[in-house]
Amino acid sequence: MVEKTVSCPDCGKTLTCSGNPGEVVKITCSSCNTVGKVTFKRSISTTDVAIEVSNLKKIYGDLVAVNDISFSIKKGEVFAFLGPNGAGKTTTVEMIESIRQPIAGDIKILNKDIKTSFGEVKEKIGILPQEFRSFEKLTVRETLVYFSKLYTKKADINDIINAMDLKDEENKLYKDLSGGLKQRVGVAISLVNDPDILFLDEPTTGLDPKARREVWEVIADLRDKGKTVFLTTHYMEEAEFLADHIAIIHKGKIIAEGSLEELIEKHGEGSILRIKNCASKNTVDILKENGFEAYAERNGDIAVKIDFKERVLDVLSILKHECIDYENIDIRRSNLEEIFLKLTGAKLSEAAA
Amino acid sequence: MNFRFITHDLIMGIKTWMRSPGTVFWTILFPVLLILIFGAIFSGADEVEYDLHVQDLDDSFSSKMFIDVLHNISALNVEIISNDTDISEYMHDEDLSVVLQIPEGFEKTLHQSISDDNVTVNVSFYFDPSDQTTTSVLRSIVAGVLNEFNMDATGGRHVIGMNDVSTLGEDFDFIDFFIPGMIGFTIMTSCIYGSIERNTKYRKDGILRKLLTMPITRAEWILSKMLFMLFLSFVSTAVILIVGTLIWGVSVKINIFFFILIIATSFLFSGIGMIIGRFVKDQETADMAGGAVTFPMMFLAGTFFSLDMMPEFMQLIAQVLPLYYVNEGLRNAMIYSDMDKTLYFTAFVLVFAAVFFIIGIILTKWKED
Repeated sequence: MVEKTVSCPDCGKTLTCSGNPGEVVKITCSSCNTVGKVTFKRSISTTDVAIEVSNLKKIYGDLVAVNDISFSIKKGEVFAFLGPNGAGKTTTVEMIESIRQPIAGDIKILNKDIKTSFGEVKEKIGILPQEFRSFEKLTVRETLVYFSKLYTKKADINDIINAMDLKDEENKLYKDLSGGLKQRVGVAISLVNDPDILFLDEPTTGLDPKARREVWEVIADLRDKGKTVFLTTHYMEEAEFLADHIAIIHKGKIIAEGSLEELIEKHGEGSILRIKNCASKNTVDILKENGFEAYAERNGDIAVKIDFKERVLDVLSILKHECIDYENIDIRRSNLEEIFLKLTGAKLSEAAA
Repeated sequence: MNFRFITHDLIMGIKTWMRSPGTVFWTILFPVLLILIFGAIFSGADEVEYDLHVQDLDDSFSSKMFIDVLHNISALNVEIISNDTDISEYMHDEDLSVVLQIPEGFEKTLHQSISDDNVTVNVSFYFDPSDQTTTSVLRSIVAGVLNEFNMDATGGRHVIGMNDVSTLGEDFDFIDFFIPGMIGFTIMTSCIYGSIERNTKYRKDGILRKLLTMPITRAEWILSKMLFMLFLSFVSTAVILIVGTLIWGVSVKINIFFFILIIATSFLFSGIGMIIGRFVKDQETADMAGGAVTFPMMFLAGTFFSLDMMPEFMQLIAQVLPLYYVNEGLRNAMIYSDMDKTLYFTAFVLVFAAVFFIIGIILTKWKED
């Protein structure tokens, strides 16, 4: 827990609150009752940093694929690099993996500059390249043994097979596995050297929802085991489900970064309460008179922006007090899709297509 | 250099190869089938060739009559060579397949045969066994002329015979000369296709990107793959030699140059495969690119047919094809036992191997642009 001192924006009173790094805490001014939020940012010391990227740049001809981006990833967190296809995700991760050469910028992995010390770093990282396919004529076990023997540091193959739930498939040829199992084997391969950091480049692309969910569970387990995971994805649900820390990249630039809570707080529109089939035409005006930001949507529903969950009760009591009839209500929080739409003017799913 | 990595990668390569029936077929069974098919075809083949050089050591009326008969055969273009010419050297220098020598005493023996039924004389038929088709055609033409001459001169009694003299000093069949070509061709196809496929498929599947982030180095990986290609080359060579020996009774000599050539050839064509693989992006194009290189080379480099049968401009093309030097090097090492030529062709193969393999290594990149 960290303590933080803030000033009330209305009366200027000094207030103290406490919270965990990455947490957003609600605070009410003891003097004027103004309600506000305090964000506890992550403080990163050098020893906590798994990956540090500074001013990274890559150009292909006239195309600036990665445009002067910087970010840090803490040890033990799942970092989701979210963006549509062609945004620069894979170029960035492949520069960090030393597969591509940046034209500018610095990359440190576990505090080692990869320009000079990538050889040392190799033993500590595990990589699942984009669209990776292993040797078709090797069984799952043989595949893992093959990759394992190319490292000095080794994890127990049986442990990996059990952890990845591949026991039933260990003697099957790779070519005979389903898409989801192949991706699971891909993740398993990236674990054969018991790495501190995993790079998973679009690990669920092309998988059906069930197989995708299976891979998510595997990645969630890795996070629980304390592995640092660098995940590139264009699926917002994937980032929302897995990530502790998200960076949204668009046209080679990071346009937003932080935890899901931080992103929603900073770029989202809070929660929206929708009143369905409202009988009164004055509802929007009534809500506005009571201090709510409300508007009518095209389908006739009324949307009310909710800053804090307690305000939902206020809306409902106004509706009851004013005898306004309605069919039902729903409450939906801002998500990454909306944030992406707000920041770029395009839907993430459409930009990806 | 971590030899544990190399050994491990090599074993994986052999294991996956043995589980690919298609690859095993093309590497081993396909050349065997070709040996059987071509061996059967050329064991009884007819061919039309016209040049016949004749050395007349007797220089008599009878020998001139015999030569006139040969002249009168429209299919033959007879040329007389001087009596002091060494026939083996002459055939070598002029690149001839056959020379006929009429011995001294030819006429005298014919005269003696009138009174003595037991007297015979043989013309010597010098031939290059590597050109079986030309040799067999000319042998049958000359034999026909001899029969006719015997009929006219002695009423059909067998006075003039023919004595075969191989320019190699031993009696070889076509299949003996086909086997080295088959070995060169098999190593070429397996190394070129293997290298192209490895480079394109592994790049497409992300395996090269994966390896780049692992402790194994590019040099260790390439060395492991080269050892694998050498393994395949020696396995397919052994199979070809075993089948050739058991089915066709081939007679080949295994010496140090044979091994040098097999190793250099593997490096040479792996290098060419690595170069092609660098520029080919997908599997379909890889197969086409491999075919575009191996097929013309297979036919133009004298693998199945003697270069003498081809037009002159095609023979010139062969001189720039690496497989030609491999084929000729292997033939000279394994069949002719001509050390000068073996050295000459081996030197070319070594130079080709060094150049193409070094370029291949330089172009085989794991890193992306």
